[in-house]
Amino acid sequence: MIGIPTVLITVEPEESEQARPPRALCPNGFIVGHSLGRPNDPNLQKRILMDALHLLVEPPQLGQVIIREYQ
Amino acid sequence: MPDRPLELSRYCIPYTPFTGKLEEAKICLVTTASVRGKDQPPFQIDGDTSFRTLDGALPASAFTFDDDHYDHACVDRDLNCVFPVDRLAELAENRQIGGVSEKHFSMGFSQALRELREKTIPALVREVDRVRPDAVLLTGG
Repeated sequence: MIGIPTVLITVEPEESEQARPPRALCPNGFIVGHSLGRPNDPNLQKRILMDALHLLVEPPQLGQVIIREYQ
Repeated sequence: MPDRPLELSRYCIPYTPFTGKLEEAKICLVTTASVRGKDQPPFQIDGDTSFRTLDGALPASAFTFDDDHYDHACVDRDLNCVFPVDRLAELAENRQIGGVSEKHFSMGFSQALRELREKTIPALVREVDRVRPDAVLLTGG
């Protein structure tokens, strides 16, 4: 089996860091159940989603959760 | 492939470099938010170590969830809050990503960590590996 690149979106950065994810984004200020931000806000959801996916092509920050502001 | 369970990241960070372009990448979703197709068997809310294979061609409206462990204010109105399948389709249409995986995957709530580690996750990973996405996006509840 060959590895597959992964990226995580998490709203619990402290808990997620314990699992040492290779790439992880936390949209700051959102609670569990709101990983992509707000309901029926496709622009915000796409921003968060694209920011997460861009971690695939950015320099690795292994084991760290990148916290960003969106509100 | 060895039949023994795959180890999780207890000793190292499971980093796999991404090669290629995002605009050409097929993205697969793997969530722990208890998402399932409306025609699939429900997850047991108190604990369920099974997973569901989800049709990647379907919109969010084709799916539901079985959970009472995270705030549902968002997902009751828009499942994309934890399972952004509609947003992925839009990104693919805009050619910001290469495409959407033909299958996604969802686990339910469980605290049976040993069973998850030794049975559920290895089986799920084997299914993801068959789909051969260029990258996997992981979301929780």
